[in-house]
Amino acid sequence: MSEKVEVKYSISRFIVSKIKNIFPQKGTEYFALVGFILILLIILMAIFAPFIAPYNPIKKVGDILQEPSSKFLLGTDGLGRDVLSRIIFGARTAILVTLLAVSISLSFGVLLGLLSGYTGGKFDTVFSLVMDAVYSFPGLILAIVLAAMLGPGILNTAVAIAVIYTPTYFRMVRGLVLSLKESLFVEAARAIGANDRTIVFKYIFPNVISSIPIVLSLNAADAVLTLAALSFLGLGLPAPTPDWGFDLRAGHAYLASKIWWPSTFPGLMIVILTLGFSLLGEGLNEILNPELRR
Amino acid sequence: MASLRVYVIRRVLLAIPMIFILLGIVFFIMRVVGDPVSAILGGHAPQEQIEQIKEQLGLNKPVLFQFFDYLGQLLRGDLGRSLIWGQRPVISEIWDHFPATLELSICAFLVSILVGIFTGIIAATNFGRFFDHAFRLYGIITYGLFIPWIGIMLQLIFGVYLGLLPIGGRIGTLMEPETITGLYVLDSLLTLNMESLISAIKHLILPSLTLGIYLSGIYTRLTRTHLIEVFSKDFIKSAWARGLPKRAVIYKHALKNAFIPILTMMGLQFALLLVGAVLTEITFSWPGMGTLLFERITYRDFTTVQGIIVFFALIVITVSLLVDVIYAYVDPRIRY
Amino acid sequence: MKRGKRRWVMGFFVLSFVFLCFAPGISFSQQTKPLVLGTTDKITVLDPAKTYDFYTWEVFQNIGEGLLKYKPGTTELIPGIAKSYEVSSDGLEYTFKLREGLKFTDGYPLNAAAVKWSIDRVMKLDLDPSWLVSAFVDRVEVVDTYTVKFVLKEPVSFFPALVATTPYTPVSPKSFPEDKVAEPTVGHYGPYRIKKWTRDVQLVLEANPDYYGSPPKSRLFVVKFYKNAATMRLALETGEIDVAWKSLRPIDIKDLKAKGKQKVLEAPGPYIRYIICRCNKPPFDDVRLRRAVAAAIDRDRICQEAYKGTVKPLYSMVPMGMWSHIDAFKQEYGERNLELARKILAEAGYSKDNPFNIEFWYTPTHYGDLEADVAAIIKESLEETGMIKVELKSAEWATYAAKYLTAGVMPIFLLGWYPDYIDPDDYTSIFLHSEWSPDMGVFYSNPEMDRLLDKARTEIGIEKRTELYEKVQKLMAEEAPVIPLFQGILTAATQPNVKGVVLDPVMLLKYYLIYKE
Repeated sequence: MSEKVEVKYSISRFIVSKIKNIFPQKGTEYFALVGFILILLIILMAIFAPFIAPYNPIKKVGDILQEPSSKFLLGTDGLGRDVLSRIIFGARTAILVTLLAVSISLSFGVLLGLLSGYTGGKFDTVFSLVMDAVYSFPGLILAIVLAAMLGPGILNTAVAIAVIYTPTYFRMVRGLVLSLKESLFVEAARAIGANDRTIVFKYIFPNVISSIPIVLSLNAADAVLTLAALSFLGLGLPAPTPDWGFDLRAGHAYLASKIWWPSTFPGLMIVILTLGFSLLGEGLNEILNPELRR
Repeated sequence: MASLRVYVIRRVLLAIPMIFILLGIVFFIMRVVGDPVSAILGGHAPQEQIEQIKEQLGLNKPVLFQFFDYLGQLLRGDLGRSLIWGQRPVISEIWDHFPATLELSICAFLVSILVGIFTGIIAATNFGRFFDHAFRLYGIITYGLFIPWIGIMLQLIFGVYLGLLPIGGRIGTLMEPETITGLYVLDSLLTLNMESLISAIKHLILPSLTLGIYLSGIYTRLTRTHLIEVFSKDFIKSAWARGLPKRAVIYKHALKNAFIPILTMMGLQFALLLVGAVLTEITFSWPGMGTLLFERITYRDFTTVQGIIVFFALIVITVSLLVDVIYAYVDPRIRY
Repeated sequence: MKRGKRRWVMGFFVLSFVFLCFAPGISFSQQTKPLVLGTTDKITVLDPAKTYDFYTWEVFQNIGEGLLKYKPGTTELIPGIAKSYEVSSDGLEYTFKLREGLKFTDGYPLNAAAVKWSIDRVMKLDLDPSWLVSAFVDRVEVVDTYTVKFVLKEPVSFFPALVATTPYTPVSPKSFPEDKVAEPTVGHYGPYRIKKWTRDVQLVLEANPDYYGSPPKSRLFVVKFYKNAATMRLALETGEIDVAWKSLRPIDIKDLKAKGKQKVLEAPGPYIRYIICRCNKPPFDDVRLRRAVAAAIDRDRICQEAYKGTVKPLYSMVPMGMWSHIDAFKQEYGERNLELARKILAEAGYSKDNPFNIEFWYTPTHYGDLEADVAAIIKESLEETGMIKVELKSAEWATYAAKYLTAGVMPIFLLGWYPDYIDPDDYTSIFLHSEWSPDMGVFYSNPEMDRLLDKARTEIGIEKRTELYEKVQKLMAEEAPVIPLFQGILTAATQPNVKGVVLDPVMLLKYYLIYKE
């Protein structure tokens, strides 16, 4: 009997040590995983919305401002719409606009950063100055004005958000390009006659890519918040599109009646999605650039 | 300190093109990207109406001319006049609302620093253990909190359910202190007006907490990282080995040095502070610049909106300039 | 700092926080406790020559007074600054005798010259409300120190009602510049004077010691401006304000009534909402199509669903409570008549496969945030005929107002109306008379209607006028250039010990009547 116990004990010790190898330090590595799961859940929510949501999110399906009940799990809002369904469909706008905005700013930022950093000279000076100016200015305020001028709509909102994040990628990529520009292997490439374009895209670009995912996640977190803020101010998507920021604002008016559910839940979703991206970014940062132990 | 002066001059010179560019960007957005005329009138207005508005806004001249006109105006300190209601000078509108934003920002900033440093210390001194992870998580979470949501939750709990704190406005009825600075807390103290002081603070609590907690995360991480780095230094270890109490060591050496990175972070965070202030103001009906901006955007009052943006731009640049200069003063190494 | 010390610091903060939370609402050490009224409206411009919104007019009713004013609770005009007046036999000259020895709050004498100066100023500045003077008054003459004469362009029987409006309020030449808009806090004459004004935050009024009549019931009156109704409502419930005026949401009203602690007062308000059809271009130049819409509209749904019963269906442009009102549209179409609508549409050549396409406009925030719902309900009601397809379009107020005021771009749209002066003419002429209907985007022109309206505004006897306005309403219902939807209800919620809140058809609250026991 003791032998069996001993064997079991050693097997479990073995398994635990293997796990410890993958996650050597308790705690922070889980961040990335948790973040990833949260994001995935919300993306799934967005994709399968019509199947998961119990009601049509833009139609009145019950009395207004009903408490959460078995019929309406999260209650109904000021127009009698199901809060749960609106949240589920809200995932669509959140994910869609965020991804759109981030893609736009990523593409433009990276491209311009590569070109500007490599080309140098007046072009680079002017561009960096402009990008720095935008970067240093309070982003949301710029986005608010842009969104107000451009008007409501998915593309307009995404563009308004994209504009304020383009400098982030620009600066990062440009910095990397500048440091790589004079490095040995680029010199070597030039020596063998590679033209500028090849150098930029075949040699420099791949070295830039590895830094992107972290910035991307953190940036996405920011974008979710900016989008929520724009919608909160009524500058995002037109009603009655289900949108977390917009619903948060709409629910705010009923606060005094102790009606907490139309605002609490949409707001919670915003926090969860932002958290997902933040955790993913921070977690990746931990994994790729781990902290030195004492 | 010749080199400091040189640095300051260089820094100021660098700031000037920055201002130009920011102004240019604002101008560009207001005139070119969005068409203010159609935003005011909509798509199908008759030609004469369009011409009228263009005259009024001075849009008939080439964009560059308009830009220089505007710059000229700015140099004279004239931000134009509001397009709506009484057509008050934009400067007056901004001046009415600025003290409120200033007061909120200062309080929120204090909260964020206190909470941030405090939690950072706890995290650093518990390196690798539970509190460390907990507060690192805190740092990440607070950055991702949506300000209106925190605000609304606090309003629900403390304002509606517990009925302890007000959920909007700056001060109780007729309780404003004499106006000296426009900052109610300061004015109350200066005029020894206890009623006003208490009322002002009561109204400040929830908004400052909301904005302060949101901003604190960064200081948590900063303090923590900095302290951890300091702890690993040999001279600290030797101090401990000699038996000096841990606390004394922390607060005497480590925090003093943390001053610089925190200062730098303040400068970098300033834009974030403004953004947070705008959202906080709107959530708490706080009569500051954020509320003004939002109101005027709703009413399509472009001159005021433009004036506010220009004002923000100038503040941001000034603050970053100041931070850089202070930094250079404190740490001579970076002057070169 | 030792660990213990840190605990002290933390403890201090926590204790202060708790203390502040529970610090009692500080009561006033002064003798007078003010009466505090909360509102989500705002003062736009504190100048009678420029302001054209209801709330600012309400303020002027309390810090200023006209030559004539309304008896509280009624639409009866009684002497104000003028103690009497005479009308010439041709109805063109109104001579007012002013009370003697009155002074503006800046010390300047309130005499006939000052009255003339104020009126001339309004006409000269020619701003939004100026038409209320310029359209009717040819000139003002000073007969002697305290006698002033208005010479009209044509006789209008409701001129006394006009004189009671804010643009006619005398202001002091000492504080107001002649050639531009200004917002001084002195230079008015009324039961209250301004003690302090913090724009968009609060307005502090105190009793005017020079007022000729009985002093206001509350010596100190404060108006607190709120940005949203939820905060205001909470302020009422915590006792921070004594009166919450208008703009409470239906749900707040329901809650307050249920809780029963505060008093809720309601009265029909002269605020109306309606649909305007552009009558000079397709498709609504065809009267049949207008009638079809008028028949298919579902007022009950709007009132019950969107407004939770806090507004009432309206069947005429002349509001309920105003003399001469008849339910003209109900008489013509019943409460709702889908069959009639379908019949008309079929006659006009529309069907299920060939629906009548309507581009329906609304503005999302100016009339409150229920507007999108109202538009949605209208869309559904019209489409219920099976032969109409509605495309909803919206624009922000500034655009909306510019579009309809000049360009006639919107074929059919929602609008609202607060009265300028209390008379059926103010609810009819501007929409139905060919001379003015283009200004409201109606572009309606019917000589018979013009004739009736012209006669009604010059006719003096109220019975004859009533007859004429009834004819106007019947014709309006037949032709449906405008379609009334609902009429608002004025609500005020007050603390149980507040008295003197008189909700009258004039809709401008008289602060000087309100007091606390």
